[in-house]
Amino acid sequence: MLVPFSWLKEYVHIELSPDELAKRFDLTGTAVESVKYLDKELDKVIVGLVVDCEKHPNADRLKVCQVDIGEEELRQIVCGAPNVEGGQVVPVGLPGARLPNGIELSRAKIRGIESNGMICSKSELGLGEDAAGIMVLDSTYEIGTPLAKALGLDDVVFELEVTANRPDCLGMIGVAREAAAITAAELKLPSTSVMEGVRPAAEMASVEIKDPELCPRYEARLIMGVKIGPSPLWMRRRLEKAGVRPISNIVDATNYVMIETGQPLHAFDFDQVGGGKIIVRRATEGERIVTLDEVERLLLTDDLVIADASRAIAIAGIMGGGYSEVTDRTVNVLLEAAHFKPESIMRTSRRLGLFSEASARFEKGVDPNIVQFASDRAIELMRELAGGEVLKGEIDVYPTRIEPRNLTLRTRRVNAILGASLETKEVSTILSHLGLGVKPASEDAHLLKVTVPTFRFDLEREIDLVEEVARLYGYDVIESTLPESSGKRGGLSPEQRMAGVIAERLISQGLFEARTYSFMGPQDADNMNLPADSAYRNAIPLLNPLSEEQSIMRTSLLPGLLKVVRHNLYREQYSVKEFEVGRVFMPADGAILPEEKRMLGIVLSGRVLGYEWYDKEKGRRFDFYDLKGVVTDLVERIGIGDWSIMPSKDPRFHPGKSADLLIGGEPAGAFGQIHPAVQANYDLPVEVMAAEISHDLLIEGASLERFFEEIPRFPGISLDVALVVDESVTNEEIIKMIEREGGDILESAGVFDVFQDGGIPAGKKSVAYTMTYRSTERTLTVEEAKERQAKIVARLQKDFNAIIRS
Amino acid sequence: MKAEEVRSVKEEAIASIKSAGTVAELEEIRVSYLGKKGKITSALKELGMLPAEERPVVGALVNEVRQEIEQALASRREELGKSELKAKFEAERVDITLPGRKPNVGRKHLLTQVTDEIIDIFIGLGYRVAEGPEIELDYYNFEALNTPPDHPARSTTDTFYVRKAGDRPASDDALLRTHTSPVQIRVMEAAKPPIYVIVPGRVYRRDAIDPTHSPVFHQVEGLAVDEKITLGDLKGTLEVFAKAMFGEDREVRLRPHFFPFTEPSAEVDVSCFVCNRRGCRVCGNGWIEILGAGMVDPNVLAQVGYDPETVSGFAFGMGVERIAMLKYGISDMRLFFENDMRFLRQF
Repeated sequence: MLVPFSWLKEYVHIELSPDELAKRFDLTGTAVESVKYLDKELDKVIVGLVVDCEKHPNADRLKVCQVDIGEEELRQIVCGAPNVEGGQVVPVGLPGARLPNGIELSRAKIRGIESNGMICSKSELGLGEDAAGIMVLDSTYEIGTPLAKALGLDDVVFELEVTANRPDCLGMIGVAREAAAITAAELKLPSTSVMEGVRPAAEMASVEIKDPELCPRYEARLIMGVKIGPSPLWMRRRLEKAGVRPISNIVDATNYVMIETGQPLHAFDFDQVGGGKIIVRRATEGERIVTLDEVERLLLTDDLVIADASRAIAIAGIMGGGYSEVTDRTVNVLLEAAHFKPESIMRTSRRLGLFSEASARFEKGVDPNIVQFASDRAIELMRELAGGEVLKGEIDVYPTRIEPRNLTLRTRRVNAILGASLETKEVSTILSHLGLGVKPASEDAHLLKVTVPTFRFDLEREIDLVEEVARLYGYDVIESTLPESSGKRGGLSPEQRMAGVIAERLISQGLFEARTYSFMGPQDADNMNLPADSAYRNAIPLLNPLSEEQSIMRTSLLPGLLKVVRHNLYREQYSVKEFEVGRVFMPADGAILPEEKRMLGIVLSGRVLGYEWYDKEKGRRFDFYDLKGVVTDLVERIGIGDWSIMPSKDPRFHPGKSADLLIGGEPAGAFGQIHPAVQANYDLPVEVMAAEISHDLLIEGASLERFFEEIPRFPGISLDVALVVDESVTNEEIIKMIEREGGDILESAGVFDVFQDGGIPAGKKSVAYTMTYRSTERTLTVEEAKERQAKIVARLQKDFNAIIRS
Repeated sequence: MKAEEVRSVKEEAIASIKSAGTVAELEEIRVSYLGKKGKITSALKELGMLPAEERPVVGALVNEVRQEIEQALASRREELGKSELKAKFEAERVDITLPGRKPNVGRKHLLTQVTDEIIDIFIGLGYRVAEGPEIELDYYNFEALNTPPDHPARSTTDTFYVRKAGDRPASDDALLRTHTSPVQIRVMEAAKPPIYVIVPGRVYRRDAIDPTHSPVFHQVEGLAVDEKITLGDLKGTLEVFAKAMFGEDREVRLRPHFFPFTEPSAEVDVSCFVCNRRGCRVCGNGWIEILGAGMVDPNVLAQVGYDPETVSGFAFGMGVERIAMLKYGISDMRLFFENDMRFLRQF
């Protein structure tokens, strides 16, 4: 809502400066989005007279003008506008001026000719869209006066954000009422006396409401013999400052009063109202109307129309029809002031995509009892501006009067909600300032009976009154306290703490946390190499997505993370290590809401290190074992007791370089190298190691319970063995064998070398293990250890056909 | 060995000790005089061969010489040791300006860091952390929160739907939650007051991606419901939060506002931490809006079966991206979701 300060002051005496008032508005709940000083924008722009205008000697399209701006000497200004001529009164920007469009003017030489300013266009001055030529002013303007003053722009315009609960502030009087309340000033309403003729309006026209639910009130007034023309300057200025384009005296009067009262009005050319009949009814099946904007609209039977004897002449509360519109030839006018049901207006306006100043107000709600006031005010303005005769009386159909609401307010309740100790009298005073009727209840001195006028129909409950008291009393003077409760036990749940441990562990492993969008596209399922029956394809589609790529809810974190890898690899980031903890969404059988599962996604791609000077494996890229290290370190750290891995059949991964993670024997996720086809689908220049594991299952299986394990008191003995075995023999098989043969004195066994080279026969590999033997009760002898080692080696030779290398 | 011979051996020994250049050379000298077959050792062994009257004199002299040689050796050894150590250290010197081997450690996402910081402050005030589904029923997201059926947020242009029965909103329409507030209802349905919870979470609005809009973003919601909760409590709580989050010198300002599910409601500003209320490019007028808040509307309390006459509550909600952008001077929301390593490494 644009509120020119000068207009507001018509209704309320304000001593505060515009900035002070804006602050007061802000702190009482009327948010001020901007305070615009109109004259500041036109500083150093002066009214000038083009005394002489000649062609530029060095340029065909430029002219050299001598301009009188009230100084002793004429100013020479070079101008490129096609419409500049001698004798015109024009706006002249002086050097140093900063125009609303951002241009800063300075003295300049243009094609060798000195130019001491600029003759401006409307668009350069922010006064209109016309940029084709200079703005030519009324010749009556005094030469040398600042343009802002000449145009009556020495004013301030507030831009107010009107919240959904305060549609009364969509009218100047509502804003003034609010301003009066917050400054404890008095509201002055304009006079509504109408100079009427003797002919009764009711003899010329009739109003019938067929659907009083959608239209509780309709008032018509008639004015005959008007002369259509432009409105006077003062009215045009006011409308422009309030953001409304002036059209003609009759239309401007309706708009002016709408801005003033918040009550939308409509003027019909009465001679086009068939039979002089106004019928408010629902549209008939298949009914059409051409609206003012010259678009034909198909109506539904839910839509309310204003019709004459034969057809719809307006869509109620939204827009008039072209055929009954006021034109230059209009002589007799029927003025409509009506009240419509907000929901109906909103529904029709949204369905048609047709929004107007009127519909914006009606759909938020208008005071049903301002109708008469607005109607009188507008018809008298029309008479003053356009002449003619106002017919006697109004035709006001208002079958069921909407009465003010009665509420009660307990001072105790106010204080309990605010944490304040207001007296009943203070509460009463505050509410009176808002224009509410307040009197103490006879039975209880701390109970107020409040009559809420219909202009504040948002006040429906006691709590609404509490809020009014709070905001006018001032949030700033309410004392700050903290809740006094014995019932507070802050902290994270064990699961939430565990989630923190997981994140911390991954971070200490060098991974950076990512956050990606929760959407994916159908093409991601194909890109991820998923078979037609894959559960990942069973995604939840959005009914109204923004794009195809973001049209379904993700069933996996990996598409998003692969895009992150690509983003980085193509931007000189050669080492990408990221993880994400986020939800995926799967339809749940028999439930409306899907199952939301929290997953952990990990991606490693590119170089392990940069080109560090100490890196002896320069350029080595992440491989399966880097990823496996991250995954297994994590599950060990969070104390998952029963986990294992097995070769994975997950089609998203390289079949030979991937594994499933099992927790308690149940699949909990997979990790490995992304399948080369998937890599190609996502346009990834190098291989990517990725994991997707159920975060929920990790947390479920995790335990931070630990029992202290005695630190060994006796020395251990470590012995190594290197052997050549078939390529197909796995580490796990060998370790299991060693552990079985090692018995009670074998503390640990681990692989420390694996290689294949020319010295090793094809199909074979060399592996080396170190075994540590220890007793918890005594110092083991070397002989004991060697004896056990020999047993193990013999078993390895026998079972794996191993050849001992050392 | 005669006394003169002993003396000349001594001089010869002292001279060679003085000229010795390394600890190893010195060791050779020691062996040649004091070793098993060394000259002085031999002289001692030969004492028996001397006439009885000479033995005490020469014996004393040999012992004296031995001590002198030992002393000379020790002092020369110390000298040589120092300079050799010095040379050794010099030879082992490294270029301390070469970069160190830094452990590769990652970081939490900035949004997680900010969320954790907020949560931590409220845990200190006695709150617990609650969460709820991201795909939510209309009932929880709108209806139970006192949102009118025709509220613009309920339109398909503003909110993502995954299930919608018809044009009019229905309780069991399913949508991507537009705020973390539905968790208020879920928490209240599941428990009785006192309730003190903080709710972090991902929320969705149907906005195309640009520097200041994202269809996915994050909020943190707070809810306190108890006997005798007041607007003053809300104010005090937010002041504690703002000071902890943005600095001890910060002031907090509540401006009346309107939300469907709180009344009275407020928008909350914190004094600008860049210019300290003088007015700057970040704040404009000295104040920065950081969250929306209010007293839980009695309709909402009644909806979950609480008695608004005996309990009251406050709720507040803030955008995590907004706070991160303000605090760290980030002007493009897309950075949070691109996960560029150069962005992630900075925080």
